[in-house]
Amino acid sequence: MIYDLRHVTTYNYEAPVASTLCALRLSPRESREQHVIDAGIDVTPAPVARHTRRDFFGNQVTTLRIEELHRELRVTSLARIEVHRAPQPHADLTPAWEDVRRDAMASRTLDARSPAHHIFPSRLAPLYGPATAYAAESFTAGRPALAAAIDLMQRIRRDFRYDPEATLVSTPLSQAFEQRGGVCQDFAHIMIAGLRGLGVPAAYVSGYIRTIPPPGQPRLEGADVSHAWVRVWCGPNAGWCGLDPTNALQVNDDHIEVAVGRDYADVSPIDGVILSSGRQKMNVSVDVKPVEPALV
Amino acid sequence: MNEDLKLNLRQQDRKGRNAAVARQIESWLETYRRLDNAPDEFIGADGVARAHWVRYFVAMARYSQRELAQRFANVDRHIRESGMSYRVYGETSERAWPLSRLPLLIEGAEWRQIEAGVIQRAELWERTLADIYGEGRIVAEGVVPAAAILGSDDFLRPLHHVSPAGGRWLRFYAADIGRGPDGRWWVLGDRAQAPSGAGYALENRLVFTRAFANLYRDLNIERLASFFREFRAGLAAAADRSEPRICLMTPGPYSQTYFEQAYLARYLGFLLVEGDDLVVRDGRTHVRTIAGLKRADALWRRVDSEWLDPLELIASSHLGVPGLIESIRAGQTVVANMPGAGLIESRALLGYLPAIADRLIGDELKLPHIATWWCGDPRAAADVLANFDNMALAGAFQDGPPGVEERRPVELAALPPERRAALREQVRQRGMDYVGQEVVRLSTMPVWQDGALSPRPFVLRVFVARTPDGWRVMPGGFCRISDRPDARALSMGEGVTSADVWIMADRPVDMTTLLPSGDNIRIVRQLGNLPSRAADNLFWFGRYMERCEATLRLIRAYCARTAEPGSAGANAAGVRARLQRLLIPRHAGEDGERAIADVAAHALHDPKLPASGLALARAARHAASIIRERLSHDIWRILGELETQLAAAHAPTEAETMDRCEDALQLLAALSGLVQENFNRVAGWSFLDMGRRVERGVSTAALARLFAERDATADNLELLLDLIDSQITYRSRYIAGVALAPVRDMALLDPYNPRSVAFQVARIAEHLATLPTLRQDGLMEQPLRIATSLQADIAVAEAAKLDAQKIAAFETTLSTLAIAIEERYFLQGKNAVSAEPMKGLG
Repeated sequence: MIYDLRHVTTYNYEAPVASTLCALRLSPRESREQHVIDAGIDVTPAPVARHTRRDFFGNQVTTLRIEELHRELRVTSLARIEVHRAPQPHADLTPAWEDVRRDAMASRTLDARSPAHHIFPSRLAPLYGPATAYAAESFTAGRPALAAAIDLMQRIRRDFRYDPEATLVSTPLSQAFEQRGGVCQDFAHIMIAGLRGLGVPAAYVSGYIRTIPPPGQPRLEGADVSHAWVRVWCGPNAGWCGLDPTNALQVNDDHIEVAVGRDYADVSPIDGVILSSGRQKMNVSVDVKPVEPALV
Repeated sequence: MNEDLKLNLRQQDRKGRNAAVARQIESWLETYRRLDNAPDEFIGADGVARAHWVRYFVAMARYSQRELAQRFANVDRHIRESGMSYRVYGETSERAWPLSRLPLLIEGAEWRQIEAGVIQRAELWERTLADIYGEGRIVAEGVVPAAAILGSDDFLRPLHHVSPAGGRWLRFYAADIGRGPDGRWWVLGDRAQAPSGAGYALENRLVFTRAFANLYRDLNIERLASFFREFRAGLAAAADRSEPRICLMTPGPYSQTYFEQAYLARYLGFLLVEGDDLVVRDGRTHVRTIAGLKRADALWRRVDSEWLDPLELIASSHLGVPGLIESIRAGQTVVANMPGAGLIESRALLGYLPAIADRLIGDELKLPHIATWWCGDPRAAADVLANFDNMALAGAFQDGPPGVEERRPVELAALPPERRAALREQVRQRGMDYVGQEVVRLSTMPVWQDGALSPRPFVLRVFVARTPDGWRVMPGGFCRISDRPDARALSMGEGVTSADVWIMADRPVDMTTLLPSGDNIRIVRQLGNLPSRAADNLFWFGRYMERCEATLRLIRAYCARTAEPGSAGANAAGVRARLQRLLIPRHAGEDGERAIADVAAHALHDPKLPASGLALARAARHAASIIRERLSHDIWRILGELETQLAAAHAPTEAETMDRCEDALQLLAALSGLVQENFNRVAGWSFLDMGRRVERGVSTAALARLFAERDATADNLELLLDLIDSQITYRSRYIAGVALAPVRDMALLDPYNPRSVAFQVARIAEHLATLPTLRQDGLMEQPLRIATSLQADIAVAEAAKLDAQKIAAFETTLSTLAIAIEERYFLQGKNAVSAEPMKGLG
């Protein structure tokens, strides 16, 4: 599947901003299953310095500095990307989750590919006893890791309510867990915390998902949203498997990966510091458009 | 009781020298009992006192009891006056430093073994860090599992595959050690994040040397000074300029060891900076100074790694510098220790250390450490679970996991069975978060308590620095003594005292190293460029000091107007009401009918009143605390005294409040004198003085507007002269008594009256003219432009033609000038807010 992506973030400031320094993680990852045909980030006002690198987990980071007085900052990320995912291994054929845990602990590399990066608590996905206990219900003794993880994902989808008003980006995991509600970020963090509590490696993925309009209605431009899900490590052979607890889906060609990390803090699309004292307002518009094969 | 010692003391006795003291010491020793199950520094396992302690006590016996008491009193006074303090986490006020009467003594021969052991360890950790952040051989070869490293928050992913500027991960390392039951010294823990204690050790030494200089010489005690100088030289050599600017980066005045940080910065000649003071431009780190951005070549950081850069690490951090990590990655900033070095503090690594040593330095460890099993390894976990009740359990990494939240290990035997069972389950579930450690009883040392000597457990922190000639160990250390006799060896926490540590050299101590030779030191009269933050706080220190003084004068005048005969007159009541409004702004439910004594007491003492004498003294002290490294002990002491005085309970009468005002004004006068006479006349003083001048100018103009209005009574004019302290000058100049025009002239226009607005503006203009400029074109900068124009305006004004509007204009222009000074010289980044994080809405 080929997509045209358009992700526009606009900040409006009450007081003029003299200087902005920020780091953007908006460019989709290039991998075996995802090919970036073309990508670019456009920023106004124009930065005086701009620098692109890959971070530890292989995500593309663009850092920039703006020195011009401005009241509006607009960041537009455009990409054309081809997604073709290999099917996930048969869940019942993956190793027992206890073996997965043991193998992760015995990892012999510090590189980004080591599952050991994803077994310890992180700032936004701390260990939380109730989340671990919740996950443990799916992880019965000897159960294949992916089968158990899929079960956990489905239970989260069933037991938790999707509610954009319920949480903020700063809402702690424990609160989202207790109120059994939130958005994709919260579900991903809760699932990660539960898995890690059991010693099963789990990573956070940010990206997009194609939304299919209700039958008979046109696709609305800019109405798509950025999305987040989980990757679970299922042993050295099966590797990482993407699970989307918000939609109870094994990750497929409708998902587009942008960045991978331990939690949201590692992949946050825009981190920055502005020099200003006034209030700021942010507006985001995302458009994920499947490209007709004829147009490619 | 040791026979040698007894003999020695008896000899002293026979000589008739301080026989009483000798007997005194003997009696202390008679009552000193080492603990049953722990070794002791002073008394050996055979019950015999160790020779070096005997030497110490005999040397002490030369002092008479009175002399000893006096010298210890000096020690206490010095600690109090120098403001030596620490902060317990979560508390807002600092605590005075507890220093033990007795030092910890270590013999030279034994010390050299410790030295060799910690140097080996420093080098081993250096290579371990280089390997972990580099090739990762120890992991690939199976010496250490990746998970034993990655559990640390201090494995800084952004620094993977980075080589540090200057080539070193570690430049300042510390090991906590204690003597184990076998008589050997054991390492209890490693410190590499930002080891604290070296400054306190130095201050401990300074305080003791003042009181007992002879002892240090006679007992041949090793000196500390050269250690610090060589550390500084090592840092300087790593930078790529001949006279590098080195900064000590502090988390700020609220950090637990701010006193030490300020002290070390002053001692080493480093700039004390907070994150806000630094800025990264074009990959290099700079300090914001009043002369613009100046290159910072090296940082000695006391900010924990994760908080160093909001752009790459914790985004909400206000302690860091955006872009700092990028600059470190680019090899442009030398940092001691490199961010990420803190991961070696993980206990998880201890169990693997012998194997790492074998792999990386091909040697055995010279100093043993507490036996440690990381429960992430299934076999180690099984061992720990099998011996669970005889073990201590601790977090494998920095933060304690459930059950062992404290930093120190928990002895399992001491826990109630249900807690122990819960921990056992935790270890089974997530063993990777825990280590088991053997329980070791460490040695005790004597402390002086309630007129007797008693044994107390202690931990010694030893410091190792990277110098141009390799590793060097501070000959001494930071000794912390537990306050409880039954404290288990490992449980050192709050409630500790510290002790000076004496290495009794068996070789001559090199005295010449205390002062560098005169040849290679360049004479410097102006100390670099003043950081903007320091300028800011000096300015406000000046303003608050002046504002406090003005308030005290108002209160004094208010009290005096009630005490005078005839004060019941209508005019007097009017003046009083006006003063009262100045002192206590009207608020809901309050009218002018408060008791006079009550108003005065509130104005002086009420901490909740933002403009009370006390609140202003506190504000001044707070501003001063941020620039403590630039202020003398005397200034600091008087500030403390001023606050203590003003924090007293309310006085019952206005007469007494007035007396207190007088006392406080005297302290302020002493403070002004110190600032005037003892403050180095470089840029820092200019800002302090400008702060005072701006404040005095504004307040004089405001008072003139209020009390020297067109139809002002003689009373009001007299009051104004009182408030601006110009009575005497006025009387010496005008015999005829008070009149509007001369009073206005004296308050506003007279360039020779040091209290007039004209005088303040002229001084400010002078200061501004000498400060560095940012532009090269010779045009005036905004503050000087405003000051010059105001000065001209005042120069041509005539007292007789002044009106309220004109006086108000002086006042406003001065405020504008203050703002212009702030904008030009102080932190531009003060109002920085972090960009709103983007909300993922999936």
